[in-house]
Formats: sequence, C-alpha cells, structure tokens
Amino acid sequence: MTPGDRGPALPAGLRDRVLAASLGARAAGLPAPVPAQISPVEALRRGVSAVGETLRALPREDWGRPALRGLDVQGLVGHLTGVDEDVHRCLAGDPEVAAASHVGSTQPAAARQAGHPPEDTRAEWRRAAGRTIELVATADLHAEVAVHGLRLPLGLLLVVRAFELWVHDNDIRQAVRMPPSVPDASTLRLMTEAAAGLLPHAAAATGLTEPTSVHLVLTGPGGGTWDVLMGQVAPSPAAVTIVTDAVGFCRLAANRATPDMLELHVTGDPGRANAVLAAASALALD
Amino acid sequence: MGGSNDSLLAARLAAGDDRALAEAFDRLAPAVYSGALRVLGDDAAAQDVVQDVFVELWRHPGRYDPAVGTLRTYLAVLARHRAVDLVRSELRRVARQEHSYRLAPGQPGPSPCEEVMASEVATAVRAAIRLLPDGQRRVVELVYFTGLTCREAAKAAGIPEGTAKSRLRLAIARLETVLDRQLLGPS
Repeated sequence: MTPGDRGPALPAGLRDRVLAASLGARAAGLPAPVPAQISPVEALRRGVSAVGETLRALPREDWGRPALRGLDVQGLVGHLTGVDEDVHRCLAGDPEVAAASHVGSTQPAAARQAGHPPEDTRAEWRRAAGRTIELVATADLHAEVAVHGLRLPLGLLLVVRAFELWVHDNDIRQAVRMPPSVPDASTLRLMTEAAAGLLPHAAAATGLTEPTSVHLVLTGPGGGTWDVLMGQVAPSPAAVTIVTDAVGFCRLAANRATPDMLELHVTGDPGRANAVLAAASALALD
Repeated sequence: MGGSNDSLLAARLAAGDDRALAEAFDRLAPAVYSGALRVLGDDAAAQDVVQDVFVELWRHPGRYDPAVGTLRTYLAVLARHRAVDLVRSELRRVARQEHSYRLAPGQPGPSPCEEVMASEVATAVRAAIRLLPDGQRRVVELVYFTGLTCREAAKAAGIPEGTAKSRLRLAIARLETVLDRQLLGPS
C-alpha cells in the first residue's frame, strides 16, 4: 500500500459484503469475458481447419524441411494421419491402441509419406481427420476411451487432439518460418481447462507426492483460475500460487516451452512451484 | 503503486482470480470509501458506492486499461460517477419533496425537505450550487428545487426555453466538476 492509498478504517463487514456481492455477480475462476462455449468436437474441427490452412499455404519445397523428432513437415503430417487412424481404431473398440505408443504407433504412417507428392499427404490426412470428426460428431463425449496410454472421456480426448493439432501446426510453422498461431479463446479455454484438470495426474507421474494446493491463474483470452490439489491428501497442503499467460502455459504443457521462457509470478514455496511446473511440462500434450 | 502491478492485477481479475479482487479491495477500498464519504456525508451511501465500484471492477475488469492510468484513478472515477449519480437522485428527491411540501402547506412538524437539507449531502450540493453563475443557479433552483419543467423555468426566469436548457446543461457540468473535486482529490 502506498501512503496515498491509506484511508479511514473500513466499516466492519464491508469487505465480506463487497466480496460476496462481487462473487455473486461473477463466480471465482471464470474469465471475463467468458469466451463462447464450444464443444470438444468443434475445438477439434477448428484445429483441423487451422492445420489445413497452414498446409495449403506451404510451397512444395517447404514440405521437406525438418520439423520434429527427425520428421520433416511431410512426415509430421503423416504422424497426424497415424494418430487419426489410431483414434478410428480406438472408437471401433480395438484394444491394441490403448497401450500403443503415440510416436511408435504412428511411425509407419509418417514413414510412408516419403516420396509421395505433398498434395497426397495433405489429402490423406484431411480424409483421416474428416473421418474422426464424422465418427465423434454423434458419439457420447462422456464415454471413456483408451488410446496411446491415455484412458479418458472422449470429449477430453478430442480437446487433447485439438491441443496436439495446435502444437504441430506451430511445429510446421516454425519449420517454415511462419509466425506462430494462437487458438481462438473458446478453443484455448477448453485447452487450459484440460491442462489444469490433468495436472494432478502429471504431478503423480513425476513423483510430486507432497500435499500441494496450487492456485493456478492463467491470464489472457482463454485463461481462468483453478485451485488444484496435488500429491497426498492432507489437511494443510503447501500453498503455491502460479500466475502466467494462458498461451505460454499451454506451450509449457505441450513441452514446447520451459518455465524460464514464461513470464511467471509465483508465490509460496519456490521448490514446490518448480515441481508443479515440471509436472505441467510432463503433460506433453503434443 | 506502479502501473505494472496494476497490469498484473487487472490480468488476474480478468482471469477470475478472486484473490486479486481481495488484494484490490484491501489496497484501494479505503480511498474509495473515504472519497465517497466526503462527498455523500453518509456512511451507508458511501458503503454502497464502494460495493458498486468493486462489483463493477470484478464484473468488467476489461474496462480498466492500465495504459490509461492507475487502478486507483480508475476506481476513483468510477466512485465519482456513482457518487454524483447518488447526489443527482438525492437532488431530485429533495426537489420532489420540497414541491409536494409547497403543494400541501401547513403540515405539522419539520418537512421532509428540511430534514434532508440538514444532511451533509444537501450541504455539499447547496455549496456547489452557490458557486454557479447567477443565471445558471436560477435555472437549477427552478428546475430541481421548485420542480418546474425547463419550459416553465424559462418562463419564470424570463428567458427563452433554449437558453434555459443550455444553462441547465452548463450548470450540471459545473456541478459535477465541483463535486468531483470534493470526491477523492488528486490521485
């Protein structure tokens, strides 16, 4: 507080009354403005559309540029086709894709693109992605599905797929020196919700067992605020507050940024905060 | 408090961070409250202004632009507008009560108008009105305190209706400026 901020003591009860009235007008956690709510299917559709636009803009010579994990742009698009094919198998009840490796299982689809015209690769991916949208358009989004080591509701899987499409869209854009893209606020909101919701699982996977209460504030369009409990259940978990930009946090969760690349505002135990951020990185939603 | 802190606080408010709201309240509510109290002279009304201001900030955090000024200034302006609105409605209430009292003279006891005029709100308003130029003050008194329409006030003052209207507009603008100065002072 600066000297200019000082004033008389406030009447008793005013603080509680004002805070209650405010939270009655807008619930805690909700961003303002709230982006238009869209379904996970729509988020996927938008993700497909964004990648499609990027690919349409690519000159032939750019398809051979190195993009990710030893794949060129064309191979990475093949990987996306492979993921869609595995999702089709998952939706058809094929148990083998439940434990399949996300990268290993899609490697054949990536490899078979070599020597083919880029238009064929793009058309094959577009057909596979279109088939996914077709299959999920009328599916029960709450039904649990299992693919690539994930067991989760179908709706959440589609958001994870939208996340992956955005990440690979940017891998391609980076490879061909196009400016990065940012999802629209509605899609981003689904992505930040998914990342915040999955954080406790990632924490458990990375060995964060100490009881920790995280107040996660993601700023900017598509952001929001979440109180996430991690580690063992305890009456007084260590409290950590992390404030950062929603897009930056999604890049972290996609393993495309490290904590030192983000503009972070952390309060609470720094060591515990670092463990939480490491867990976010481990989400690897790419 | 620096602008960068205000920017972060604004971003947190927009993200729905209720702790940011509590921080903003703890830092700035005393100034908002004291400013409102100075103008309104009424504790309950000043508390209402504080509530209105913070509910507005929480509902529409995007209306605050850190590039334009500090959060303190923004809240002061919000409070000023709200307090002036209250004063205006109080003016109208006074005018209505005074008018009805004149229509029904002889009622026992102090009139509602006399009670209200004893309040600090009325004192502040009266003081502000006294600072108006004669022509404007006359129209304000006729419209707000006698309850005349602009046309009736123009006739009573012996001036064209258009002149009465423009004097009233100028008077209200001046009143707001004078009352503003009494609100939160320089930020």
